[in-house]
Amino acid sequence: MEMQKGKEVSDQGMIMAFGNRRPSRPELADVFIDDDDTNMLDGSTAEIAANSPRYRRRSSTFIDGVHDLPNEKDSPMAPAQLYSTMSGRLFHSGRIVIVLVGPPARGKTHISVSLSRYLQWLGVKTRIFHLGDYRRATLPPGAEIPDDYFFINASAKSVVLRQKILKKCREDIYAWLNHENGQVAIYDAVNPLSNGRRSLEKEFAKHDVQTLFLESYVTDEKILRENARSVKISSPDASLKIPTLVVEANGPQFVDMDPDDAAKLYLKRIDTKIPYFETMVESDLNYVKMINAGERIEYNNVSFGYLSHRIVFYLMNLHIKSRHTFFARAGTSSQEDNYKTDAHLSEEGRDYAKKMSETLLKHREAERAASIASGSSDTPLKPLTVWTSTRKRTVETAEYLGERGFKVRQRSQMSQLNPGVCEKLSENAIRRLYPEEVGMHEQDPYHHRYPRAESYHDLAVRLEPSILELEREQNDLLIIAHESVLRVLYGYIMACDAMNIPNLRFPRNEIIEIVPASYQNEAKRITIPGVASNIIPGSPEDIRIPVPSSGIVSPFPGSGLATPAESVNNLSKDILAPVAGHSEQNNLDGESDKSKPNRKPENPLSRD
Amino acid sequence: MEMARPRKTNGVGVQVEDTQICVVMVGLPARGKSLIAQKAQRYLAWLSIDAQVFNVGNYRRKETAHPTAEFFDTSNVEGERMRRAAAEAAVNDMIAWFKKGGLIGILDATNSTKDRRRWISDAMDEHGIETLYVESKCDDEDLIMSNILEVKTTSPDYIGQDPEEAAQDFRNRIRNYERVYETIDKDESDLTYLKIMDVGKRVIINRIQDYLQSRVVYYLMNLHIKPRSIWLSRHGESEYNLGGQIGGDADLSPRGHEYAKLLPELVRRSVGDDRPLTVWTSTLKRTIQTARYLPKNYNQLQWKALDELDSGVCDGMTYQEIAEAYPEDFAARDEDKYNYRYRGGESYRDVVIRLEPIIMELERSEDILIVTHQAVLRCIYAYFMKKDQSKSPWLAVPLHTLIKLTPRAYGTIEEYASSGIDAVSTWRGQGSVAQHEEPPVGAKGIIGNAAVENTP
Repeated sequence: MEMQKGKEVSDQGMIMAFGNRRPSRPELADVFIDDDDTNMLDGSTAEIAANSPRYRRRSSTFIDGVHDLPNEKDSPMAPAQLYSTMSGRLFHSGRIVIVLVGPPARGKTHISVSLSRYLQWLGVKTRIFHLGDYRRATLPPGAEIPDDYFFINASAKSVVLRQKILKKCREDIYAWLNHENGQVAIYDAVNPLSNGRRSLEKEFAKHDVQTLFLESYVTDEKILRENARSVKISSPDASLKIPTLVVEANGPQFVDMDPDDAAKLYLKRIDTKIPYFETMVESDLNYVKMINAGERIEYNNVSFGYLSHRIVFYLMNLHIKSRHTFFARAGTSSQEDNYKTDAHLSEEGRDYAKKMSETLLKHREAERAASIASGSSDTPLKPLTVWTSTRKRTVETAEYLGERGFKVRQRSQMSQLNPGVCEKLSENAIRRLYPEEVGMHEQDPYHHRYPRAESYHDLAVRLEPSILELEREQNDLLIIAHESVLRVLYGYIMACDAMNIPNLRFPRNEIIEIVPASYQNEAKRITIPGVASNIIPGSPEDIRIPVPSSGIVSPFPGSGLATPAESVNNLSKDILAPVAGHSEQNNLDGESDKSKPNRKPENPLSRD
Repeated sequence: MEMARPRKTNGVGVQVEDTQICVVMVGLPARGKSLIAQKAQRYLAWLSIDAQVFNVGNYRRKETAHPTAEFFDTSNVEGERMRRAAAEAAVNDMIAWFKKGGLIGILDATNSTKDRRRWISDAMDEHGIETLYVESKCDDEDLIMSNILEVKTTSPDYIGQDPEEAAQDFRNRIRNYERVYETIDKDESDLTYLKIMDVGKRVIINRIQDYLQSRVVYYLMNLHIKPRSIWLSRHGESEYNLGGQIGGDADLSPRGHEYAKLLPELVRRSVGDDRPLTVWTSTLKRTIQTARYLPKNYNQLQWKALDELDSGVCDGMTYQEIAEAYPEDFAARDEDKYNYRYRGGESYRDVVIRLEPIIMELERSEDILIVTHQAVLRCIYAYFMKKDQSKSPWLAVPLHTLIKLTPRAYGTIEEYASSGIDAVSTWRGQGSVAQHEEPPVGAKGIIGNAAVENTP
């Protein structure tokens, strides 16, 4: 027990190290901003683009890709795209700017990021433009925005600064919509005044872009304080911090204060900084008003299209409370198992279920202790809900937790990818019988389906309701499912490129934890100690052929079975990616050669 | 552990967990409640979700077949008692239906007072059934009038009566309801509701509790209750049709071109005036060519989602060739055509999934002409005409025929206009020989056999 604990701590230590490299909001120190206004006015789109904060690095699979800029050349397909038109835009909906409205601490950034995640998943080309990024990038390092920045009667100097920042952001929006085939731009800013919103709408209309306002309106003090606490205490936006409380330039702020007091002070500070705010009542504008984080939604519909309604549909399921999601594999089964038979857990599988459950419970307690130690108030853990598919293996893996009073829900749509004719066939047999199919599969493992089988794309479309339920769930959530299902759900939460999804690996001795932050989600992994090495490997779901080097084949470099070392090295140009590391893990599941003796006989598509 | 209720297979990505929902319509007469209720039921059924409408009026009519406006006067004690009894009977039947596994019951009545609504919530709560109130609040006089005109001609309450008297009586009935009508407001902020005002211009969505509710609300948001029609046509006969090949992207045959030239006149006559329609085609040559002679003021849009069912490896083959090359597949398709997916291609179920945005857009739009393909047209037709999954893939949709569908509160009206231009048949009966054939005369499931009104 002690030893296990020690191991956990070291694992956490590593995670913390990762975490520090990944700020909750991106640091923009590396963004070069040209202060010369003329350059900006006359500059080509490319120059504007090169100078803008939106050009971030492409990140790897284990980092939330929601802010990634797809490389136009590979033009990655969205996971659940139903179809596309020739222009690459969907549904004849034209180009839309979604303009956020609301003071800070209303969850605007969270809503922007979540909505973008969902739209991208659907195949709508979506990008977020956080005005805060532009503000931070424009101000010299360490400088604060003027006190009257948000005032109606601001000084000339502040107005100029404001205009400059707005202009830059809007030019990026146009550049993206006009030259990069963008369809939905999400403009994340306060937009406090009715006049300002009207002229914004007019300006976008001139560019043949439809505007949809999205206001987050909060009257519930509890939600405000929660938001202020969880999101803003360590805000990178120095302008909205209380200067006297800044302990050190880059360190945590509000550090010596009771979190509740800090939150209250922060909210008061917002009120002074942004004294004028008009909630939306403009009957001539398209708007959606989310009241108290979705308890009530009001909308005014002048010219809504399919996409706008789809957005409201999504918002109905969104909440802004933060909760953790865990992914775990099901245990192994007793008999020769395949897609059609639905076997019980083996003794080994039952042992795994127990170890996995205990590790998870211990981890949650440890997280709570760590959070208390770091100064948070002693709040009880969120309840944990468990989702399984209706397959016996997943249901029985959840029994240990069910017996301890945790709520378990079975979801039939979470059943695994249907292997079709490949059921019970060895890799060799598949290669012999369906050489053409194998070739096509290698070309496009995400969309290709073997005869009578489902493709990952099919699975993603089938899982869409689960995605919305996932957003809706307020409790912490453990998902126990077949690896193919975990891949797709993980692909949504971390905004993975569709092409990487079929190659994600979830070794059985790890629980993946997704920690939401307002700007992006973070993934951690928790090692389950003492899992027999022969049951660790990921499902041999795909034919075991060397995957074309897409670069990333595992949620975490180093943990995947078949992660080629060089692909990890390829990532090193991405400074956000950790070094290959984690050699212990590599040893543990480094069985990429098929000759490993303790592997069970191959049954590429059916084992869980 | 929670035990999942046994449930039927339900397809199309819409998966229902343990929730059962009573959708309660709220609103004055002539606000399109029955139309909305019917459409919602049809949409849910199309997505394989078990749903049923319980129309309180039908229960009341058992006692009072043709009531006058006085019956609906709240000071009429006997009328009030009978209406209450009808509501109770409908609610009881609905609860019994839920116990048998029903998922979404729609209570179609005015439910115009807070008392009545609270009573329904209490009754449903007792059985663990969620309630979702849907209020359609509309003050658009023109729209109300057109609804009144429709009701007086189609409502069972006024069958066989003088239309003018019927309209007057109906207006009086509405007045009686207006006196006691209470819109959903702050007092009911604990309820889950969707309130649609000004014909969908303003919407309030309150306390959505789960995914299925959000799904229903999403659909209802897309609906409007303005009268309109939808015209459907297959593309003209193609070169592939001549050779009995399926799929592909072939040009029209000479006869197909003839149909394309005739189509503008056919449409104009069916529309009845010169108002322009919006035309949707697929992205394939044969539908674009079919629509090419339509007037310039018709707005034309191409949808990838309207492309023909993808027959995968069988694309370009004849049924004969398919039966020879893939005999097992050929048999499997006959067995369950709705779920059969061509190798590397699509099933009807797949087509329904990809048509979902089309259906939503169609519901939002007004007059539309769709020029598309046989399988796609079958799916769209099945949606409007409530055709069963086991039957819809076998519908015979003749070439060179214009179909007009007009959704009404009590059913969708179908009309047909044949161009008189001959074409090959592209229909094949279940379990029959592997080739296209003429559907037997008078057989069921042939679109265009007779202009029949489809009543629910």
